Amino acid sequence: MASTSRLAGVPTLRHAFVPSPVPGRTAAELRGYVEGDNPVSGNPFARDLFDGLTRPLDEADMAGATFEQTRSRLLEPATEDDLHALFLENGWTDKLPIVLPTEERVAAMLAGTSRAPGEVVGRLRAASTRDYWEFTVEQAAVNAVMAGAAPEYLPVILALLGSGYSARHSSISSMSEAVVVNGPIRDEIGMNSGIGALGPYSRANATIGRAYGIGSQNLQGGSSPGISYMGSIGNPFSFTNLTFAENEERSPWEPYHVQHGFVPGDSTATVFRGVRTMITAPSGIRDDWRDHARTIFNATRASGGAVLLLDPLAAQNLVEHQGFARKEDLIEWISATGRLPARRWWAQGLQELFFGYRAEAGEEPWAGYRAAGPDDEVRINVPEDVHVIVVGGRSAATWSVLEGMANGTKLDRSLSGRTVSVDEWR
Amino acid sequence: MAGKITVLHPEGNAPTVGGKSLAPRPDTLDGRTVFLVDAGFENSGDLIEQLGASLQEHRPDITTVTVHLSTPFDPAPGLYARIAEEGDAAILGVGL
Repeated sequence: MASTSRLAGVPTLRHAFVPSPVPGRTAAELRGYVEGDNPVSGNPFARDLFDGLTRPLDEADMAGATFEQTRSRLLEPATEDDLHALFLENGWTDKLPIVLPTEERVAAMLAGTSRAPGEVVGRLRAASTRDYWEFTVEQAAVNAVMAGAAPEYLPVILALLGSGYSARHSSISSMSEAVVVNGPIRDEIGMNSGIGALGPYSRANATIGRAYGIGSQNLQGGSSPGISYMGSIGNPFSFTNLTFAENEERSPWEPYHVQHGFVPGDSTATVFRGVRTMITAPSGIRDDWRDHARTIFNATRASGGAVLLLDPLAAQNLVEHQGFARKEDLIEWISATGRLPARRWWAQGLQELFFGYRAEAGEEPWAGYRAAGPDDEVRINVPEDVHVIVVGGRSAATWSVLEGMANGTKLDRSLSGRTVSVDEWR
Repeated sequence: MAGKITVLHPEGNAPTVGGKSLAPRPDTLDGRTVFLVDAGFENSGDLIEQLGASLQEHRPDITTVTVHLSTPFDPAPGLYARIAEEGDAAILGVGL
């Protein structure tokens, strides 16, 4: 909070702290907090509170802080070792080794797009309480070089960074992104949609996702734990943002991007947001599949979105043995099957924050969820928040469920992702 | 010793931010109205409720008005105007 207010031009905003945690504490414990000491200052909390509200303003309080941050395009010349140390020290990496962005390498990267180096790509920020930072094609290319990407990957990287969705969001929930690429560009740049697609077996998958992450943190002005990143546990998906291509050729259904307004010949990237959990089923698609599926879909976060990742063999079984010739029927079944008692749906963390005011405003289905009896079972996810992606190399009829939001319920300030065009960045 | 090389700066372009003053402070809260603003995070409403109860018990001369943000992610200009109009001070409770 102190960092946010300082960057907003109010460096002396007055704070008083109670102990942590607040969630899960009884009324008596919370009363003890406000009548006890501020753990930061050591003073009685009430004294700090009254001091903050009544202490006369000094010159610093009156002046605030003005920022006009200009910087040079190039860093001071240095040895490679010193530059690697500088990049680490300044928080410009993901702590894995990077490729230093020399002028020659950045120029080569820029050959991957027809866009001018100085053209503005978009704006990013770590949280909705922070100001946006703007960035150009060249600045994005610098980060693509650092991540080890090849020039032909640049259109996908520009599409992701230009989406406006930061892959280094400051959320306390440690959320990551997942990226699914569709269309001809998958094969043109050698993306993996087959065996090991979600793992470290494709330079394109790995470095596109890594460039999205490193680019997000640098182009938005940082992602520093405790300052501009507050995810308590952190998220291993954030290293490469679970970036892979859909196995369209082996899918029995239309490609994902075609469901969302594109044609098969379009190349797109879909950013799923709020990705925290992936549950892999203990067995494939058998007679008891619906029971297994019920258990897994019931374990996901309420209105967190559900992305069913299916090996082509699993998709084939669903079509041939479970009656899901149409993808929309499968989506409706998942939405109708994953249910929670309304009291448990509302009791999950931050549900009131995201959906409470919508329920009060009469917006469905949240208003209906509010009106439901405490033991009435409500859908964990509406159909718009259920997604089906075919990926994998047909070595097993395996399937997993990923939490993630895109192209469905709009959460506050773009917390839900969407599908964006790659072609416009070629 | 290895030679020196030149590389590009990896950061984007920061916005220009103008300095903002803190709001004027009352010299005392005696007989004044203080808004207690629940930011809406998990349990912050309960914390604000206990703060209000404590103030009522220990500083009954202070009038407290508890309000709840519908979302902490969007500005609330209507509420800000109300606080400026009806209040002498405000406390925003985050409650994480």
